[in-house]
Amino acid sequence: MNGFHLALRNLARQRRRSALMGTVVAFGFAAFALAGGFIAQTFEALKEGSIQRVGHLQVVDRRAAGKSEESTLEFGLKDGDKARSIAARDPAVAAVLPRIDFVGLASNGVKSSPFLGVGVDPDPEARATAAGELVTAGRYLSGDGGDDIVLGTGLAAGLSVGLGDRLTLMASTPDGSLNAVDAVVVGLVDVHIKELNDRYLAGGVSLVSRLLQSSGVVSRLVIFLKSEADEDAAAARLSAALNEAGFPAEILRWRTLATFYGQVRMLYIGIFGFVGTVLVVIVILSAAIVMTMAVTERTREIGTLRALGTRPSGIRNLFLAEGVLLALAGCLVGAAFALAVRAVLNASGIVLPPAPGATRGFAIVVKFYPLAYAVGFASMLVTMTVASFFPARRAARMPIVDALAHV
Amino acid sequence: MFRQPLVVATGLSKAYHLGAAIVPAIRRVTLTVDESEFIALQGPSGSGKTTLLNLLGLLDQPDEGEVLIRGEDSRALSEDERSDLRRDRFGFVFQSFNLIAVLSAEENVAYPMALAGVLPAERRQRARELLEAVGLADKFGVRPDLLSGGQRQRVAIARALANRPAIVFADEPTANLDSHTAEEILGLMREISDSSGVAFLFATHDPRVVARARRVVTLRDGSVEADVRT
Repeated sequence: MNGFHLALRNLARQRRRSALMGTVVAFGFAAFALAGGFIAQTFEALKEGSIQRVGHLQVVDRRAAGKSEESTLEFGLKDGDKARSIAARDPAVAAVLPRIDFVGLASNGVKSSPFLGVGVDPDPEARATAAGELVTAGRYLSGDGGDDIVLGTGLAAGLSVGLGDRLTLMASTPDGSLNAVDAVVVGLVDVHIKELNDRYLAGGVSLVSRLLQSSGVVSRLVIFLKSEADEDAAAARLSAALNEAGFPAEILRWRTLATFYGQVRMLYIGIFGFVGTVLVVIVILSAAIVMTMAVTERTREIGTLRALGTRPSGIRNLFLAEGVLLALAGCLVGAAFALAVRAVLNASGIVLPPAPGATRGFAIVVKFYPLAYAVGFASMLVTMTVASFFPARRAARMPIVDALAHV
Repeated sequence: MFRQPLVVATGLSKAYHLGAAIVPAIRRVTLTVDESEFIALQGPSGSGKTTLLNLLGLLDQPDEGEVLIRGEDSRALSEDERSDLRRDRFGFVFQSFNLIAVLSAEENVAYPMALAGVLPAERRQRARELLEAVGLADKFGVRPDLLSGGQRQRVAIARALANRPAIVFADEPTANLDSHTAEEILGLMREISDSSGVAFLFATHDPRVVARARRVVTLRDGSVEADVRT
């Protein structure tokens, strides 16, 4: 017979109250587990999306780090093909994609619209970034791209062009002169962010180089790694190898580049933290009330236990044990509840509204994250211990004769 | 070899605060209790019987005076040491039995032994022996709410004897019992005292307790009025 044994008996005796408190804990735990799972899943999806856009690492000219170009390819990486082959030799690297960022004007002969352009190496780009999945009509670029381009659906709508239509693309060359090329629209893509969709244009590196008259110069090399765990080591090796080969290269990490990911993450953490705090406060208050009632009702029993020789710490531990047992039982029920709700939600097909700036909603998916369950369990355990502590301490400090005389 | 008296109380005083008023409960009481004594503390309501019992049983602290347990000054003890001393040397029997509702008769009796660290098998055996001794051999697993008043008090007596105490403090142990059961319980306690040498100190109004006592201490207005050995 120990404190837990007696605590368990007392909880069983006060079935209804224990069930009520256990339910509060169960809901608290389930909320942590489900919200944690949902948020972790969202973070993971955001992270995947961000990496798919910007790669794990990017190689840029040292001058380009933290600065905006005032003219096209002002900070371009010269001899991009050589840099690319050096980077591709690293054992951790899965793909190296050249990108040329530029702005220009697209005209259909009647109407013109500014665009944000990107020059890509089509086939590796499609393989590494699954760019083809963004295509809503037509196809993605292939081969060296030729004169083909793909447009954001918003830009295409603004220019009233469709598949097979020809556009004239105009842009400033690095030396400041104006150049133009003709291109054919082979695909429309939805890049999920409305503002970008209204301005997005992609073509092959060869077409863009011809337009910009910048053969061999790229804005950046986007690098995908075989494993994210290699990020630090690969960044260090690439920096050394490229600088040794004479490239004034700077290696940028995806977290630096994907500012949206960081902002959304902080927003979610803020929301989750606030909701979590409210949840913990509710559980603490409920548990404190329940434990205070238990102490009051059992005042005489406390006096008896003390008279029989139970030390004050024994009384305190008895009530703390009740709090801990309620937390354990509540978390167990909460885990079953969370798993059931998770199954229902995942099967429901509910589509959440698009995030700010996005064009597509996304289906609700709550993954099973053991860490979220562990955090929920730890939170409820600590919460119940804290909530039980003060009533337990009051019980331990009660004068024995007053407790025995309690009616 | 000289052995210290079991309990020596010297100059004990205790007052309670009732609002702004201070009401003295006992005043400068001196009392010695030896082994095997069977003492009745009697007196009218408010005479200080329970207060004195609580002070001698180390359930409360006096405002003045000292309580020596086998020569050891209880004032020097920490709260934990007082708890340990009650656990190891004292037994308590209460008017309302004060059994732990969620424990069976056997578990109630075993509880003080569990506190003392007695191994489960040993405490189970002793608890059963004690329950048999008080006539409850068939009630080991029964919860207190299913026992009669007399049976509950028998369990309480068995519990009080669990750790082989030197003295049992009993506060109005027969007050909630019918006449026949009260006689039985008193007979049982006297028998235990005679056979095992355990001292009993009763706070009581009950003339039956007084009649069976070997020593009667009468309190009036918080002071010892008479201390008579019969």
